[in-house]
Amino acid sequence: MGKRPTPSELLPGTLDLLILRTLAPGPMHGYGIAHRLQQVSDDVLQVGESSLYPALQRLLLNGWVKAEWGASENNRRARYYTLTAAGRKQLVSEREEFTRMIGAIQKVLDTA
Amino acid sequence: MTPSVQTRLDRVWRRVVFRWRRTQLNRELAEEIESHRLLKEAENSRAGLSPQAARELSNRQMGNIEMAKEDCRDMWSFLRVERLVHDLRFAARLFGRNPGFTVIAVLSLAIGIGGNAAMFTLVDKLLVRPLPYFEPDRLVRVTGIYPRAAVPFFQQQSRTMDVAAVSAGSEYNLTGQGEAVRIFGAAASANLFSVLGAPVAQGRAFEPGEDSPGRDSVIIISDALWKNKFGCDPSILGRVITVNGMNRQIVGIMPPGFGFPSSKVEAWLPLRLDPSNFIEYWGSGWVPFVSRIRLGANVQQAQAEIRALVAQFKRTFPYPMARDWNANATAIPLQEDLMGDIRGTLLILFSSVGMVLLIACTNVASLLLSRATTRRKEIALRVALGAGRLRIVRQLLTESVLLALIGGGLGILLGMSALSIFKSVLPSSTPGLAAAAIDWRVAGTIAALALLTGLAFGIAPALSASQIDLAGSIRTGSQRSITSAWTRLRSCLITAEVALTVVLVVSAGLLMRSLYTLSEVRLGFRPEQILTVRISPNQSSCTERAACIALYGRILDSARGIAGVDEAAIANTLPLDAEQPYLAVEIEGHPKSADYPAPLLWSGAVSPGYVRMMGIPLLAGREFTEADGSKSAGVLLITPSTARIFWPGENPIGKHIKRAGEAQWRTVVGVVGDVRQYSLAKGRPDWVPGAMYMPYVQSAREDGQIYAAMTLLVKGRADSGRLGHEIRSLAEEQDPNVPVSQVQPLEDVVSGSISDFRSTIRVFLSFAGAAILLAAIGIYGLVSYWVTQRTFEIGVRVAMGATRQRIVSIVLAQGLRVAVYGAGAGIVAALAVTRFLGSLLYGVTATDPVTFVAVTALVLAVTVTATAFPAWRAARIDPVTWLRVD
Amino acid sequence: MATERIDLPQGTLDLLILRTLALAPQHGWGVSERIQQISSDVLQVQQGSLYPALHRLERRGWIKARWGISENSRRAKYYELTRAGRKQLETEAGAWRKLSAAVAQVLDMA
Repeated sequence: MGKRPTPSELLPGTLDLLILRTLAPGPMHGYGIAHRLQQVSDDVLQVGESSLYPALQRLLLNGWVKAEWGASENNRRARYYTLTAAGRKQLVSEREEFTRMIGAIQKVLDTA
Repeated sequence: MTPSVQTRLDRVWRRVVFRWRRTQLNRELAEEIESHRLLKEAENSRAGLSPQAARELSNRQMGNIEMAKEDCRDMWSFLRVERLVHDLRFAARLFGRNPGFTVIAVLSLAIGIGGNAAMFTLVDKLLVRPLPYFEPDRLVRVTGIYPRAAVPFFQQQSRTMDVAAVSAGSEYNLTGQGEAVRIFGAAASANLFSVLGAPVAQGRAFEPGEDSPGRDSVIIISDALWKNKFGCDPSILGRVITVNGMNRQIVGIMPPGFGFPSSKVEAWLPLRLDPSNFIEYWGSGWVPFVSRIRLGANVQQAQAEIRALVAQFKRTFPYPMARDWNANATAIPLQEDLMGDIRGTLLILFSSVGMVLLIACTNVASLLLSRATTRRKEIALRVALGAGRLRIVRQLLTESVLLALIGGGLGILLGMSALSIFKSVLPSSTPGLAAAAIDWRVAGTIAALALLTGLAFGIAPALSASQIDLAGSIRTGSQRSITSAWTRLRSCLITAEVALTVVLVVSAGLLMRSLYTLSEVRLGFRPEQILTVRISPNQSSCTERAACIALYGRILDSARGIAGVDEAAIANTLPLDAEQPYLAVEIEGHPKSADYPAPLLWSGAVSPGYVRMMGIPLLAGREFTEADGSKSAGVLLITPSTARIFWPGENPIGKHIKRAGEAQWRTVVGVVGDVRQYSLAKGRPDWVPGAMYMPYVQSAREDGQIYAAMTLLVKGRADSGRLGHEIRSLAEEQDPNVPVSQVQPLEDVVSGSISDFRSTIRVFLSFAGAAILLAAIGIYGLVSYWVTQRTFEIGVRVAMGATRQRIVSIVLAQGLRVAVYGAGAGIVAALAVTRFLGSLLYGVTATDPVTFVAVTALVLAVTVTATAFPAWRAARIDPVTWLRVD
Repeated sequence: MATERIDLPQGTLDLLILRTLALAPQHGWGVSERIQQISSDVLQVQQGSLYPALHRLERRGWIKARWGISENSRRAKYYELTRAGRKQLETEAGAWRKLSAAVAQVLDMA
């Protein structure tokens, strides 16, 4: 393993979860989401743009987020994504699931 | 995290919407991503990079954006559906560019599948479907024929069955309703319909007791008769019609499609059971039985009871019966009995069609195998462009399934015409035959079958093709390494094809020889230029012998007066006719005994001049003349075989024979040649030891009456259409109530007797033809492919001095090798299989060497022809061109 | 839903195998059993991915195999960590911890 593994490689579906969590407080555009993730995780999570946008499309397809055009900081058009009600529900359940899994793996890793 | 149904549906809906707005979404995505990049660029600038560097960095930071866009686009379409559509279009284009391959494959499949569709339908509708009566598995046919006296006996004595009787049917005159017509009617015991469990559609069935004299003036008609003759008249019930001179009231109409014992029957009359009419009750009018097994009993019990009852009944006979009469009478399930005679034919047809299908599938599989290997370059290219193995396999399977479906669709169409051809081969009176048609079940099964075949013979080539060595295939054009196994498989397939073809063609050949022998059979008479017409006055109008004789005398005179008519005569039946008149006789010098009861002789009643007109040779003595009148001494003509049986080594002229029960002996005055009376294959059934002729005016049937219905024969050079017309009008002149029917040249009667057989042969020939064609195509494909594979090698040989002939012979050897092995296997198989043709063969054994040798020669000749073109192509290989291109 | 089992992706599986073998040599079946056991049946190891993973790790030199006798007295292939494998385990476990911490941080952020 030469390069650092992305969270999606170690645990698939993590990216979706992270995006949903990031959008929980309020709407954001793609750049903002990537930036935020980097910030809060102290640069550990480097979400590549090439994985971000397909993930966003997937979330759109599943109806967990919706998108609207708006103005960005540099006065260009940008798409803002918001959590839908279904998205919120999905966030809760995925988070539970994720916590459970992390816990399980952690248990194995921690066995003396 | 498994999504609910609702979520799934929503997702699909959203996909639809995305798909629809795809172009717009594309634009928006590009804009969005560009906007993102610009923000990154701005960030990089703020971090201190030059604008150029900032932009470059931001581009790199965005990563593999093209692939990201691709992934996004995947969300906006129905990938699987679109892939399928794409595959189908590709397949269709491929077929268009290779019409030869496509046509051959589709046709092969269509022929095989179509034939089988027709056969499934027939087997299903005729053999497998239960009879349309109530609880049909309780219905049995009691074998043997019984006199009418047996009917009440069995009905009263049987504890295991309800016994009914119904005759096979004969023609009756229907008069008084416009034009006099002949209808086909069956005489039935009163309980027939209740035993069968077949309710009437309108009116009522016979009531118990209506089969006794005085109460039997009723009649039940078929739906077809009601439509055709009575125009669906709603007030038909209760109407009185005249049948054979007797008034009968129509009391019931049967539902459409009901036809027992055959679909020819148009009316059912009560079977008159009259103990006081001795002749009818005990002597004539014998009927077969059909019974329903009662609840609580089974077939074995019924069979045992029948044997006991037959023995019992025999003792009640007023005259001695043969000791073994009906000794092995038993009960057969009715279904088996009705279908018995066609089961054999159907099975033979079925296996032939199955073989053709196998051959067709083999061809197609072989074709696909060869195509898979020739497309290796194309496939290698696609792998290089990034197609996964699964994708390629899916593509190839789509092609073969599409091919199979097209073939299947065409096959169903072909099947419909094949069905009508098969139907013409079976006897037209088979129940349910007319209604047999390809329905949804069969079509559905065929579709599934086509799909399966497509998958089956597509999967092997698909798997093999997808496993290619990438670099190797693109670099070297010749593809020899991995394909040898597949080539061997192909050769085996083609060999098997040839073997199957040999079996089919041998069978067809044997049947053809039988047909030829049959048609060459010496009839014993000359049918040329003779027109026959059936004249059928009512029996009642001939109770007066003199009246009948006078009637026919007038008819003969008028007939002779028609322009163009050379001779005229009458006879009670024609050779090869369905009507077979047998009389029980007593032979001088052969007294009756229990072991040797009165023998039955085929009995012709003819006018003087019949023998001469038919060209029957007079071998001894003299013919009938006008002098042999109704008051003169009784005279007879017999055949040489009859004389040999009863008076071997003696002169039969002057011997005496009489009808059983007659007072006066009749004298044999002449011997005339044997005639095929019964069928072309047999002169007479085995249980009839001889034949005799009586002068019409002296003739008598078993009940002593003179024959009423006779056939008029006229010989002349006139056009038969006009003649028929004239005869009809002269008959009407004599008596308007006398129907004239079955106007046909005698030659037609002769050829008609083998028409069924001829149709069977035709069907077989077409199978054999299809098989040969398919095998030839298979061999051609194989050898052609072989030449293409070996082009390099052949070029080398030519360059090294091999002559054209040598090349041609090498190629020929390839084809012949397959053919020889195939023929060898085929001959062995045919030797084992042809015995099942059994009863269809005439004059030729099942292992007839001439046929086998001829077929082998044919197969080899076809092989040579099929190999000719590839051989010619090989011989023209110019080493310079081919060696360079490779 | 609490009883739903989770399938492990390749990267995580490798990690867990290494960790399990760090305790003691085991045969393939034993490894998957152990993982399932310790995680209280939450983590499920598919046979179809276990053996390829073992071969992969073996090829990379992080585990090695030898033949031995199993509990029911049959021959079985036992795997154990190599020295390189132990080092790899440490690196990967470390990376894992960092990653899951980062994710947890995102999940818990206000």
